[in-house]
Amino acid sequence: MTLEVALEDRHAGHIVPATLVERIDVTYARRTDDLWLTFLAAEVARARAAATSLSLPEHAHWRWERKVAAAGHLLPYPTLAIEFESEAQGLMMLKTDGEFARLPGETGKPLVYVVFLATAPWNLPAVVARPRFRGVGTVLLRAAVETSLDLGFKGRLGLHSLSQSEPFYAGLGMTALGNDPKKENLNYCEMTPAQAVAFVR
Amino acid sequence: MAAKRTMTLNLTEAEMAALEQLSTEKDMSKTAVLRQALRLYQVITARLQDGEKLFFEDEIAKAKKELVVL
Repeated sequence: MTLEVALEDRHAGHIVPATLVERIDVTYARRTDDLWLTFLAAEVARARAAATSLSLPEHAHWRWERKVAAAGHLLPYPTLAIEFESEAQGLMMLKTDGEFARLPGETGKPLVYVVFLATAPWNLPAVVARPRFRGVGTVLLRAAVETSLDLGFKGRLGLHSLSQSEPFYAGLGMTALGNDPKKENLNYCEMTPAQAVAFVR
Repeated sequence: MAAKRTMTLNLTEAEMAALEQLSTEKDMSKTAVLRQALRLYQVITARLQDGEKLFFEDEIAKAKKELVVL
């Protein structure tokens, strides 16, 4: 199943139609790993040659092939992609069972947990001087909210944020609940139904 | 979101009562409860097929009971 979504192509200077793929397979994940890692390696080499430093994304070591293989065909672990011209611009794995809200007023209610979310390296300002697409993470988070709504979880989301991504999630209106010692001390963030409605509006 | 197909489900009074109770407790529609149950059943089945076992553990009584799933 695929849906059309809009991304801002900063090189072209206008909005382009991209595709949201609702469940990718291992082959797709492997191809994306190859593309992203090859690009990153070239950027690292370029930075070395120019004697400049490159700030690698915290998720640079993720291997989506392994993640998707581990999740297999199981319904509670969909991995979504945003694709433009046959290349993944971002990937996100969700977990749709066994995760519950922690925020006061929502405690114990089911939510969709964002296990992993990453944007292609050519879209990251920390990696390239002129990133290609803007809005990849936002579109993926919107898809996570839509999944939560579709499952009857009223838009509730939860995730542990890498430190580089904390401003992004705060900007989307998520509430940070602080560092979680049970999850590598990452900052745990949640989106309430009201925040979800405001976000997708 | 993915396209959906519709089916008719026949439940006994007791099954419907259980579904309604879960729906209220979980603050989810009856359809959402059943879809979630399917997800859970699929994961449990896959893990059992991989050779894992499913237990309930009572930490106070230090007792474990294996849950047998169809």
